[in-house]
Amino acid sequence: MPQQLSSKDASLFRQVVRHYENKQYKKGIKTADQVLRKNPTHGDTLAMKALIMSNQGEQQEAFALAKEALKNDMKSHICWHVYGLLYRAEKNYEEAIKAYRFALRIEPDSQPIQRDLALLQMQMRDYQGYIQSRSSMLQARPAFRQNWTALAIAHHLSGDLEEAEKVLTTYEETLKSPPPLSDMEHSEATLYKNMIIAESGNLEKALEHLEANGYRCSDVLAVMEMKADYLLRLDKKEEAAAAYTALLERNPENSLYYDCLIKAKGISSDDHKALKELYDSWAEKNPRGDAPCRIPLDFLEGDDFKQAADVYLQRMIKKGVPSLFANIKLLYTNPSKRDTVQELVEGYVSNPQSNGSTDGDNTEFLSSAYYFLAQHYNYHLSRDLSKALQNVDKALELSPKAVEYQMTKARVWKHYGNFEKAAEEMEKARQMDEKDRHINSKAAKYQLRNNQNDKGLENMSKFTRNETFGGALGDLHEMQCVWYLTEDGEAYLRQKKLGLALKRFHAVYNIFDVWHEDQFDFHSFSLRKGMIRAYVDMVRWEDRLREHPFYARAALSAVKTYILLHDQPDLALGPLPEVNGTDGDDAERKKALKKAKKEQQRLEKLEQEKREAARKALANPKSADGEVKKEDPDPLGNRLAETQKPLEEALKFLTPLLEHCPKNIEAQCLGFEVHLRRGKYALALKCLTAAHSIDASNPTLHVQLLQFRQALNKLAEPLPAQVAEVVDTEFEALLPKGQNLDEWNKSFLSANENSIPHKHAYLTCQQLLKPDTKAENEKELTATLDADIVSLETALAGLDLLGDWGSNQNTKTAYAEKASSKWPEASTFRLN
Amino acid sequence: MVDIVPLSSYPSYIDLLPSIQTCNITNLPENYFLKYYLYHALTWPQLSFVAVVRPRNGYPDGKIAGSYPKVVGYVLAKMEEEPTDGVQHGHITSLSVMRTHRRLGIAERLMRMSQRAMAESHRAQFVSLHVRVSNKAALHLYRDTLGFQVDSVESKYYADGEDAYAMRMDLSPMWIDWAEIERKDRARHAKDEKDADEGDEVGELGKKEDEKEKEKMVRVKVGRSLGVGDLVEKNEVQTA
Repeated sequence: MPQQLSSKDASLFRQVVRHYENKQYKKGIKTADQVLRKNPTHGDTLAMKALIMSNQGEQQEAFALAKEALKNDMKSHICWHVYGLLYRAEKNYEEAIKAYRFALRIEPDSQPIQRDLALLQMQMRDYQGYIQSRSSMLQARPAFRQNWTALAIAHHLSGDLEEAEKVLTTYEETLKSPPPLSDMEHSEATLYKNMIIAESGNLEKALEHLEANGYRCSDVLAVMEMKADYLLRLDKKEEAAAAYTALLERNPENSLYYDCLIKAKGISSDDHKALKELYDSWAEKNPRGDAPCRIPLDFLEGDDFKQAADVYLQRMIKKGVPSLFANIKLLYTNPSKRDTVQELVEGYVSNPQSNGSTDGDNTEFLSSAYYFLAQHYNYHLSRDLSKALQNVDKALELSPKAVEYQMTKARVWKHYGNFEKAAEEMEKARQMDEKDRHINSKAAKYQLRNNQNDKGLENMSKFTRNETFGGALGDLHEMQCVWYLTEDGEAYLRQKKLGLALKRFHAVYNIFDVWHEDQFDFHSFSLRKGMIRAYVDMVRWEDRLREHPFYARAALSAVKTYILLHDQPDLALGPLPEVNGTDGDDAERKKALKKAKKEQQRLEKLEQEKREAARKALANPKSADGEVKKEDPDPLGNRLAETQKPLEEALKFLTPLLEHCPKNIEAQCLGFEVHLRRGKYALALKCLTAAHSIDASNPTLHVQLLQFRQALNKLAEPLPAQVAEVVDTEFEALLPKGQNLDEWNKSFLSANENSIPHKHAYLTCQQLLKPDTKAENEKELTATLDADIVSLETALAGLDLLGDWGSNQNTKTAYAEKASSKWPEASTFRLN
Repeated sequence: MVDIVPLSSYPSYIDLLPSIQTCNITNLPENYFLKYYLYHALTWPQLSFVAVVRPRNGYPDGKIAGSYPKVVGYVLAKMEEEPTDGVQHGHITSLSVMRTHRRLGIAERLMRMSQRAMAESHRAQFVSLHVRVSNKAALHLYRDTLGFQVDSVESKYYADGEDAYAMRMDLSPMWIDWAEIERKDRARHAKDEKDADEGDEVGELGKKEDEKEKEKMVRVKVGRSLGVGDLVEKNEVQTA
């Protein structure tokens, strides 16, 4: 039952609220306790105390208290509001919305509750609910522009463009005269309305509206871009050409503008002469620019190409532009262009006098040309690694301080397959410029590629804020350094330290969660700032946040880790010596497990001591944002690796991956592996179908099709009738039941003769179809190393394949030795 | 080839933010949460620009959004929110170009685009920035190429104890002729007036209400954890 407070206690209660708002949590708790001493069941006070506790990180206690508050006062909107806020803090938005709704039913006119509800509805993309909330907020305060704009956003995002435009127009019509030019909120609202009109497909109207209002909008560049875009889409060629010309005059370094200008001018892509003239005219206007000089190299052929390339290359080499090769290599898919470039630059170094660089000292020209050649011979389409090394050494001899040259040397060693040497060379580059973080990051990355996690972190720590909670690694987490966490995790995965690998991949996952949560404040902030177009774009981007390649990469690795854990649960204890199919006996396995367990305990103890020491050194365990950080109870990820349901855990990563990156064939193939192991045949087939539509001849898919057929043949109990029907019909389209599998496999091979990965797939299928052909398959696999086209990466995959087949150590050694003699510099084939 | 594009205006390239953050943390010791980048992109969408590598055969469907090209440089810029002297001015929060992509004039182009937008969109009188006293290359760009002047030396500005030059550059030459736009406005308004009804006072009232609401918004914080406002202050400290 609600309880009346004495006037003294009521004023104390108001103080509690004030303390909370000012984040004076300790005082707040103290004052609340004062009220509660006399009124131990006062709901509102209990609720406020709970809210403060939740802000202090005492989530569980806060919830218990909030429940007690509600029990004492079910009819208090404060109690319900607080209950909602606690759920909100836990990110349980659905329950929070329910609680807010209760609060609002009790206090329908409360603006704070209404606003909190609206924000959550937006966050949850409950557009119908948001429209309702926004409508009532507008009714309460119609004089307030933000409320009109917000309602328009609600309609716009829900897909009702017409209503959205109408709302904006209704507000505009209340304006007596246009607001001053400096009113950016108005300017942005105008462009927002224009955006809605354009999205509705009525470009004529959008253009008209823009012509009438754009001249007074403050985002000048946006108005120009929008206008040019509409004109081109409306096929108003002449005006579009003028609009893109104007844009190029502002910024000649945007290739999209050239593309559009050419389209507007109706120049055919075969008319090289006209194209060249157009680019030349822009190059003349911007003698220091790159785009108009570089783009023609894409379409010019033969002598024209050679001439233009010569001018371009000499100019850039003279300037010493380090990205020249990165810019030129895109041409190499055309072998004749590749050869021309090689011939030209080889000419510069063999006969430096014949080109224009004779004025005095041409050391710089020469070293930059050698540098170019080093990268050229390092590139997979023009690879000759010994030449690459020779050239990089010549470049370094001339310019011993050039960090980029030394970086290329490291890269050559990477391509040799020698990660150890590559890391060493990159470390040398780092030492050449210790104040530069870029080279520092590269050195750390190469160390991680060489599985040296500790060394990598040590290098990183030269630029992190190490006084942060958790030291350098803590800072890298806090600063959301996704690349590092991913590389670190992948290095652990290679070493079969699955706990730490999972730890890093989960960290990346959590960062994406934070990025998703980040939008929350902008639901209110952006309305105040009035930059509505950018806000709407942000909301749409957040909806596809996890299609980012950063997410895909970490998620793929995480799923691989969980599959590995499912297949070899012993790995939860840490890396184990390889047990070969028949070679390892049970006693040996037990011994190894015991040893691994011991090692794990030793590492845990070590980590604990490290933390203890850090805690003593750091009196105040607070992060940069002043938040009290809780100690991570599982810093090594051992608890993660101990999971009894690795496949279910994998879904956490897999589900968003398949939703947001459906075109990623690797994701589909991994999805198949997970679902097949879970016995979810319909889902497994869905992945196969998706993969098939991306690339029907993918080698992994080929093997999986057979695996699926065999799994269906071997079912312990038949599938439920409905599932069976769907699976049968759909799979029939991919691999018909009546198909002779032997022929099917052979025809796959003959259709993809010139690819070793396809050969691998063929052999794996042979193995699955006729297990007794193993010796033959192993022989054929080893023979693939004789092919000219086999790459180091593929050869390495072949070695893994032998592992998958359970081949014995002798076979593996023979394979590795053969590979090692083909790539003598590579460290990857060295057997431990 | 490198393209220079706006970050969050039209079309929106806001999905480049994670790559911009990566570019920053790969190159520079001063790092920020993604939310701080979002704060810039959503408060001053006109001012920040990105340098991306054009993929072979161009962007899929001619669109950068959704294609996640490599980011090799960016300028993150803002307007001073409450200038102490009341003079509108811009500020460069962070500028970086990968060392593999130097000597192409990318940093200069990024800076000029941002400066122009500061002048055109926000009537900035000048733009300010901080640079490490040891950073010769950056100093050369700002002073010799772009025309910045050293305003003062800020002792121990950076976390590692290094001093910073506080630099600024006049932007008034980049201003556009707003008087001309206002003339056009008046002419159009006069024409509209002839056939317009008498409007009510909503617009004016709305303005006043607006001010009040803004003040209130600052006070009411029930239920919000870390607001954008908190973040801003903190990051300022962090940069310092």
